[in-house]
This record gives sequence, C-alpha cells and structure tokens, in this order.
Amino acid sequence: MHIMEGFLPWQWCLFWYMVAIPVVAYGVIQIKKITNEHPESKPLLAVSGAFVFVLSSLKLPSVTGSCSHPTGNGLGAVLFGPAVASVLGAIVLVFQALLLAHGGLTTLGANIFSMGIVGPLAAWLIYKGVIRVGWSSSMGIFLAAVAGNWLTYVTTATQLSLAFPLPTFGEAFVKFMLIFAYTQIPLAIAEGLLTVVIFDYILKLRPDILEKLKVITPQDKNLEEAV
Amino acid sequence: MFENTVDNYAHHNNLKGANIYFKVLFAILTMFMSLISTSPIIPIIIAVLMSFLIIFKAKIPWKFYLKFLTIPFIFGFLTFIFMAFFFGFGTPLWELNIFSLTVTIDGFNLGFLVFSRIMGGFTCMAFLSLTTPMTELFSVLETFKIPKIVLEIAMMMYRYIFVFLGEGINMYHAQQTRLGYHSFKSSYKSMGILASNLFIRTWIKGENAYLAMESRCYNGSLHINNYQNKIGTKNLFILFSFEALLLAGVYLSGNFTLI
Repeated sequence: MHIMEGFLPWQWCLFWYMVAIPVVAYGVIQIKKITNEHPESKPLLAVSGAFVFVLSSLKLPSVTGSCSHPTGNGLGAVLFGPAVASVLGAIVLVFQALLLAHGGLTTLGANIFSMGIVGPLAAWLIYKGVIRVGWSSSMGIFLAAVAGNWLTYVTTATQLSLAFPLPTFGEAFVKFMLIFAYTQIPLAIAEGLLTVVIFDYILKLRPDILEKLKVITPQDKNLEEAV
Repeated sequence: MFENTVDNYAHHNNLKGANIYFKVLFAILTMFMSLISTSPIIPIIIAVLMSFLIIFKAKIPWKFYLKFLTIPFIFGFLTFIFMAFFFGFGTPLWELNIFSLTVTIDGFNLGFLVFSRIMGGFTCMAFLSLTTPMTELFSVLETFKIPKIVLEIAMMMYRYIFVFLGEGINMYHAQQTRLGYHSFKSSYKSMGILASNLFIRTWIKGENAYLAMESRCYNGSLHINNYQNKIGTKNLFILFSFEALLLAGVYLSGNFTLI
C-alpha cells in the first residue's frame, strides 16, 4: 500500500526521507561497483526494474473478491539482493507516482522505507535463512514473498500511526493494522503463491540466469533436474 | 493503455515548451505550501487553481484529467470517512445508532484536512506528470546531483516499461483467448506463466540492448539533450509572488476549521 501524496505531515515526510536516503545511497554505491565490474549489467538492471513495475501493474485475482497487484519486492530482493532492490524500488516508486497516481513525491521517503527497504530486506533474510536450513528454494521464495509483503504493511501501519497518534500510538496502530489485515493476510499468501509459480518457471526455463545472479548454486540445479 | 496516454499528454500539451526548471519549481513549491498548511482552505485553493491550469492552460482534455483524478479522490474520500469515525475524541457531531459509531468534530476536521492536502498535493503532482516528459525530468534531476548511473538506469527502465506493457498485454490477450483465465486456479497458472516469461524476455531484451548499444560505441553513459527556453524575470516574479501569497494564506488561515 502506497502512502498517498499529502497524507503525512511535513515533519514525517522529512524524517522518512532522512531514513531512506542513506540506504538508497548505499545501494547506489553497490550498483556502481557491479556496473564497473560488469558493464553489461546496466541494461539488465534497467529491464529488471521495468519488470518489477509491470509486475506491480498486473491485476491479481484475490480471495477477498477485490483485485490487487503483487508488489514484486520479494522476488526483486531475492534476485538482486536488498541493496540493489532498494534503488530499483525507489525508481519504480517515482514512476508509479507520476504515471499511475500511486503514492506521491512528498511521501516518497516513507514509501521507499516500507516498500523498498524493510520489505525486500526481510524477504532476502528469510530466503537466505530458509536455504541455509536446507528447505527447498520454492518454500524459501514463498515465505520470503509473504513475509516481505506483511512486513511492508506493518511498516506502513507504523508510519501512519506515528504520524497520527490519536489518541496514542498503540491504539492508532491497532486500528490501522485491523484495516490492513482484512485484505493483506489473504493478499500476501496470494502473492507468495504467484511468486513461487513465477520462480519455478524461471528455474525450469532459464536456470542459467538464476545461477548468474547467485540465487541458486549449481548444486540446486542438479537437484531440480533430478526431481 | 492508461499509462500510455499520460506519457502522450506529457509530450503533447500547451505547456511543453515552458522552461522545465520553472515548471518543477512551481509544482514543488506549491506542493510544499499545500503540505505545510494546517487548514483545508489553502490546499483546496491550490487544487482548484492547478486543475484550472491543467485543463485551460495546458489544454489537457478534462475527461481524461478527471479520470486521472479518480484514484486519489476515492482514496482521499475513504480516508476522510475513516478518520471522521475513528480519530476523534471530542464532542460528537453525529451519532450512528449501529455499532455505537460516532463522528466527532475533531475527527471530522482532521479527516477533511488530510483529504484536502491529498487533493492539493496530488494536483501539483498531476501538473508535473501531465506537462513534462519523463526524460526532461531526468535532466533536471541531473542538476540536483543525483548520480548519473541512477538516471541512466531510470531512463532505460522508462523505455522498457512501455515495451513490456505492450508485450504483457499481448500475452495476456493470447492467454485469454485460450481460456487461460476462466477459473481461479488457471488464472494463477496463467499469471505465473505470463510473469515468468516476461522476466525471461526482459532478460534477453536487456542482453540484446547492451550488445546493440555496445556496437554503437556505448561507453557506459548516455547523453541527454538539455536545451531549455529562458524563464524570464517576469515569470519568476509572478512565481515568487504567487508562492508568497500562498504562504501568507497558510499563515492567516492557520486555525480555520470547517466546523
């Protein structure tokens, strides 16, 4: 969920910008490093960002009867790592604000923090954790996408209740969470399932891409072929 | 597609020739005024003025503009209702006899303030996105010391978004004619196939684009043509007096509430 333009008081807009900028700057440094080593990765990063944007504009049938879209941030984080995902996420958010009227420019910092930093970071950590425990990569990607989605919403609810702590932070937080929970619990699971389907197809058709991105090791590929 | 037309209008409107820095400065400053206002008056004035500029000065068809405004309007309105019911603890204004829901005065005022700020800020953003092509916006960002690599990636991304939207829509229609979305389960399967294929195609396109660029002497940076018309002292004067007027309005209407 994007925080709409003009929703947050200016003090909070500023605060979230201050929080988000260092992380994005770190991501930019990482991207610079990658593109200096492999110049061919620059167009690849661009097309991947475009892919995230297109993914987020696809409508997904959901259980609640409403239509929502996958955020794609779980997949992006698992494929490219959280630092790069945060930069791609930031650019995608600017485009979403200007082209689709989702989100806004003054609330961009807050949106980057929830959707470009917390969500991808959680997704990436969980994916790595699950792989280390030794579960399958499908399970990992499912949990990563679900957790990435939920944590994004928890962060958004936190940001909103910090901005409008009426009467107290805790009570406002419960209210925002209740409203989000109705749609987000099923939606996150739906996104998780969809991400697994996408990931499995990529693994089946072009495992070399995933290997190049170091998402899976050659060993995983052999396992997959054996199955 | 909807996105296509926003881009289309950004390239074909009456304010396209105006200096880009002037437009950005105008939109951002006005957005800021709407943001710092503590009463709903100034944001609403801004929303009306901006809509007027967009429809009559930039000559964007009003039907299209209203359609563009519906998303923020619906969202803002829902926020207004939500806040009116749940975010007030003062005197009740109106009591709903089911579920003991009440609208309170302070909740109503807060909701209306947020609603007006959303509309004020959003119209400023709409002004920017409907009158300036994205590639020109990037050249402005370059003067703000945004790293070049980010802008380049953003610019290429912008190009590919339209390529993939077209491709995605084609694939979607192809799947639809083969009953790919007739049931819940098949929708998931089809959507997954579509997205993963899109990713693989994206990847191939990216590799090909790099090869094509490299064979045309791409050395890691793109150059943007950045020619701009002059702003003119008169326009600058009008801009700053307008913003000063808004600021004074923000100050004077500080404690005003609707009820």
